[in-house]
Amino acid sequence: MSAPAAEAMAPLVQPGSPISRFIWHCRNNPKRELWFAWWTTVVFYNFFTISFFVLSRTQPPANPALDAQGAAHWFEKNHYGILLGFAIMFLVTGMTAPQNALIAYSMRRMSISPAFGYSYLVLYSLSAVPGMLLLCIVLTVGAMRPERDPELQQWLFDLGFLSYVGTMGVFLIGSIVWMLAILIDKNRVFPKWFAYLNLCNALTEVVVSPAWIFHSGVFAWNGVIAWWIDMVVFGIYTGVFITLLRNMIRREDFGTGALPDLPPKRMLETSSLAKAAS
Amino acid sequence: MRRTDGELILFWTLPAMAVIWISAFFLFPGFVHPMSPTMSADEVAAFYRENTGRIRFSMVLFNWFCVCLIPVLMLLVVQMRKMAHRTPIFSYCMLGCAAGGPAIFLIANLFWLLAAFRPERPAELTQLYNDLAWVTFTIQVPYLIMQSVLLALAIYCDRQSRPVFKPWVAHFNLLVAAALAPAAFTGLALGGPMAWDGFLPFWVKNITIAVWIAVMGVVVGQAIRRQRVEDGVAA
Amino acid sequence: MTTPAGADAPPNEFDEVKAKVQDHRFIPGQPDMWAFVLFETLVFTSYFVVYLLFRAQHHELYLQAQANLDLRIGIFNTIALLLSSWAVARCVQASRDGAYRSALTNAFMTIFFGFVFFVSKVLEWAKEIRMGNGFTTNEFFQHYFFLTSIHFLHLLIGFIVMGVVIYQLWSPKRRSQELVETGATYWHTVDFLWVLIFALLYVVR
Repeated sequence: MSAPAAEAMAPLVQPGSPISRFIWHCRNNPKRELWFAWWTTVVFYNFFTISFFVLSRTQPPANPALDAQGAAHWFEKNHYGILLGFAIMFLVTGMTAPQNALIAYSMRRMSISPAFGYSYLVLYSLSAVPGMLLLCIVLTVGAMRPERDPELQQWLFDLGFLSYVGTMGVFLIGSIVWMLAILIDKNRVFPKWFAYLNLCNALTEVVVSPAWIFHSGVFAWNGVIAWWIDMVVFGIYTGVFITLLRNMIRREDFGTGALPDLPPKRMLETSSLAKAAS
Repeated sequence: MRRTDGELILFWTLPAMAVIWISAFFLFPGFVHPMSPTMSADEVAAFYRENTGRIRFSMVLFNWFCVCLIPVLMLLVVQMRKMAHRTPIFSYCMLGCAAGGPAIFLIANLFWLLAAFRPERPAELTQLYNDLAWVTFTIQVPYLIMQSVLLALAIYCDRQSRPVFKPWVAHFNLLVAAALAPAAFTGLALGGPMAWDGFLPFWVKNITIAVWIAVMGVVVGQAIRRQRVEDGVAA
Repeated sequence: MTTPAGADAPPNEFDEVKAKVQDHRFIPGQPDMWAFVLFETLVFTSYFVVYLLFRAQHHELYLQAQANLDLRIGIFNTIALLLSSWAVARCVQASRDGAYRSALTNAFMTIFFGFVFFVSKVLEWAKEIRMGNGFTTNEFFQHYFFLTSIHFLHLLIGFIVMGVVIYQLWSPKRRSQELVETGATYWHTVDFLWVLIFALLYVVR
């Protein structure tokens, strides 16, 4: 794809303020639906981080070894953080749908059966309800009545954390579906090493399973191995796939053959279409 | 000529579903005057003891029919596929959202039924189930909000000579999304207009959902009828 | 030029591979697999570091618990996997030379030795559990069962990988040298990780 050909296809980009350029993109960029999905993903993870890590302090997780009084005290200590943080989640969890849609789309772009994309879409669409919203609901209920019997507070505490940490199968199978899709794909949508990274992510769901057994130690739901190391792997995985999805959108040619490579940096400066689309 | 494809059958399940839902809504004694979060555990337990039959019957009805909305949502997805989009992204998003809303409602429903199952249990346990049910029911908005936002976006992006839906449908959906948003914050209040029995999280949310179903039902029905005339479908 | 006995691959691919082997910067198999190997090794290293840190804190307990492990079984396991690695290396070499019948035999040998490890491991776990040492017994056995289980899982994945390798070698149309070498790389990793686990759990006292 040569620069002159790309220029010939480019509609005129109006130079102007960032706002007018943004509005131009919203109206005319052929890839706007994909970019909408991508930006929604990025925004969602920001909300998620603030909600879980900063406000409600549910990540890193509270200590499973706490007794009933300890659990009740945890709810009191984080009262407003929990209520506000999860209120934000109740508002924005819908943003996971475009993320799953974009990844399902990436699999439709591959040279494989549509069943892979649909599997991923369904698996991850249903994952948020037991795997995240349940925690949000249950911990909200716990925080709403601090005077509740501590035994009941601990019941909610367990239910919240274990449902989140312990909903493993969806991500296990979903990651393997994506891995298989990438390995069989001939359209080079994603690099093969990302398929293997999916395997690593799937394995973290296996590594976390002892959390259902232990109340303390490295395999508890807040343990060094079951949470911290798993989180590092998951964090790397998430950062990687967000970047790869961005590259995929930039490379997308709406064809059915192999996806072209990213144009080299030199061309990105000269081609206005590439600039518009990136 | 297109053969009979059942779209109309699916469409006419909507009024039937609406009748059932409205009946169940009024049958459940906790909705018409919505239960307050400030009720004590004993009051809550008394409520479940005294109204067990109505609670069970209405909630079983809801359990059977709450997912009836999904086929209608799928009719919406089919309409979205007819829009002039470059990619199927919007319809995939709708598919994802359609799964979420009814699933959350089902969970709330289970909690209500559980609360009514052993009314003689300690009052605090019944109150726990009741809390879980009400919170789950009230906060079930995220997928509904995203659905409306998606519809609005999809309609704005649908640029053809005869768009599937008119622009006002998009504006309407954005209003709906805004109206549903406050319900997400209901955890922050045990009384007043933001509590789960309050003006915004209960009345505005539920009325908005009802209006959305009615309006979108009519709009989809018109679209289907117009397309059947254009395509010359048998039935 | 003479075609080596048993070669069904088109001459070009065969020459290409031979040329590649002579090139000193040649990476066997997909470079992507090496990235995976590196990443998994890092993850396993983190598990080992955690183990060593906790071991340093409760030295006595770990020493006592370690005495429950039979070093001979550990050595037997290690030899089984080393033999399987040797078999897979021979398989790759045979495949490079075009001797596909021999390559297939070696691939099956790899699986056979892997299976020996499989059976031996399961028997060892059964023995430990009968002795009263389970996953939850004490900290050492938490680590023991965790490390050996997660390695066992990698072994099971290795069987699937070897299945892919055999599938590639079986029919003349499908032979991809790159995939065979990629599979071999993975198998060597399984062996390598076991050697580390063996050293940590059985030997280091």
